Amino acid sequence: MDTMTPQKKHSPKKKGSSSNPAPRNETVAHGGADTPMGACSSNQPIGLAIDTTFDDTSVAILKGRREVLANLTLSQYADHEEFGGVVPERASRKHLEAIHPLIGKALNQGGVGFGDLDYVAVSNQPGLLGAILVGMTVAKSMAYLLTKPLIGINHIEAHPYANFLVHGELPFPLMHLVAAGGHTLLILQRDHFDWTIVGRSIDDAAGECVDKAAKMFGHPMPGGPVVDRLAMAHAPHPHPFPRPMLGDPGLDFSFSGLKTAMFYFIRDHREELQNGEIKEGPALAAFFQAVADVLVAKTLRAAKLHKTPAITLSGGLTASGKLRQAFEEGCKKAGVTLYMPPPPLCTDNAAMVACLAAYRYERGLTDGLTLDGYANLMT
Amino acid sequence: MPSNLFPNTHPPANVVAIDTTSDYLSLALQKNGIPVGNHYSLCGRKTNQWLFQELHTLLEGAQMTPGELDLVVVAAGPGSFTGTRMGMGAALSFGQVLGVPVIGVDTLCLLAGQTQPTEGLFHALLHCTRDEVYQAAYRWQGEELIPAGNIQMELIENLGDLIGQEPVVWRSLFPDMLSPDQTGILNGFPQRALRHPFPDGLRLLEAGLARWHSRKGPIPPPRPIYLKSEAIRKWTP
Repeated sequence: MDTMTPQKKHSPKKKGSSSNPAPRNETVAHGGADTPMGACSSNQPIGLAIDTTFDDTSVAILKGRREVLANLTLSQYADHEEFGGVVPERASRKHLEAIHPLIGKALNQGGVGFGDLDYVAVSNQPGLLGAILVGMTVAKSMAYLLTKPLIGINHIEAHPYANFLVHGELPFPLMHLVAAGGHTLLILQRDHFDWTIVGRSIDDAAGECVDKAAKMFGHPMPGGPVVDRLAMAHAPHPHPFPRPMLGDPGLDFSFSGLKTAMFYFIRDHREELQNGEIKEGPALAAFFQAVADVLVAKTLRAAKLHKTPAITLSGGLTASGKLRQAFEEGCKKAGVTLYMPPPPLCTDNAAMVACLAAYRYERGLTDGLTLDGYANLMT
Repeated sequence: MPSNLFPNTHPPANVVAIDTTSDYLSLALQKNGIPVGNHYSLCGRKTNQWLFQELHTLLEGAQMTPGELDLVVVAAGPGSFTGTRMGMGAALSFGQVLGVPVIGVDTLCLLAGQTQPTEGLFHALLHCTRDEVYQAAYRWQGEELIPAGNIQMELIENLGDLIGQEPVVWRSLFPDMLSPDQTGILNGFPQRALRHPFPDGLRLLEAGLARWHSRKGPIPPPRPIYLKSEAIRKWTP
């Protein structure tokens, strides 16, 4: 039994007067939509959100549902570069080094103090468990010390909320494509907190596949931006890269075969690649076109099947200009409304976590300090 | 981040000590200069879930609020990497939110500090991975524990070369990982007995206060102590 504050159910604070003496900087705002809840007003709850699920340490301060007072992310890419991938133990250590200074900086940037906070949110799943536990311990400490509600957030559920942050209230039902790190998911959302995964990658995630293809050409992590840049700059090579599971009536994805196809392409065209007859840019453009074709087709199929008039994109891969272009064209043709966050909000960030937390806070959906962390996606 | 520059005024009266470096959660509380609580429980992987519940119980029992604390002492490792980070994460957060100093104490010093003050050099050994122990040498000078070398990691089978037949105090973070042969090696050294179960939150609290009193200037913010074996150091994916 959890008898401590914060407790399972709380009454969201009705703010008319602040209990906090610290002055607020009402002018620092960026990224929020101009909606009633997003409007700058002194009686909106202010939340601190922390995300340490993978290799980015991120802290955000959000006012209301959409007024981002601060959204700071410290990338660890350089710290893992020598290993060719993220080393979980190293990521956890870096989170601990970075988190407190980042919180201090976010509070400064947001013009708020600890006393101004109404809730503390933290991503407690899925991701690297050791890394998650760093964020959770810090968030729990702060919630406990400030006697404010703690809100545990599913990082994957939070990704589409990058769209709510920038586009305001979106009409349900929605079909979300979340292409983030180790996940490629199609999520049907009927309402806030009411969602179902209707499609997922049965092997490699799309982003993983793109990173590995880039690695085959000697590019360091993260390979996604390199592949995207080349795909935008070059016409695709005519090599027929497969469109995996496109003929399958279901909504699941498979990208490991496409990765293997790229491996064989390089093996079979080594000489042409070496003598410049085939260039890296067009090869990767052709490969990425296959990834984009599958993602667009499956997402539109999911929208049609579940009768959702709109789809949203989120997750690191959807920062890709080429993919966004493909979705814009596909959605226009299909008459489906498309919502995309700006690229900086596609990748891991605590603002999206804070946005979902704001909705949970309003509904009194908070957690106790015995909240646990999970490496796997709990649905 | 709070500064660890202590004002030259009164010694800290209200102190909390947090040790999550092993499977045992160990907490202690001092109020108005008097120890008022000491918690010790086997939490294993549940430490993250129970830490604040137990901390709250301790504070509530002493009729204190976290805001009354004026010093946080934390076990900074070596030990379980994840556990060490949890304690450090909590302690540094307390420091940041409450604006109070945080002092880190290494776990080998704690282990050694739980022995009876006896003359002569002895070694604290903390078994942490399958084949290795953290090792550091100490001696008692009256009631004061004096470190006699740095913390290092050593293979259990090589301990004889390192410490000869000098006395040891040892504990294992993962007893199931110790083979009978390894236990035999560790028990083969002259043993220094522990005065209290290890880890002991009150001893941590005392060690933290001792650091506070012996400070000769600003105490830097604590950093977690990670030591890696050669095998891990040489590992490449």
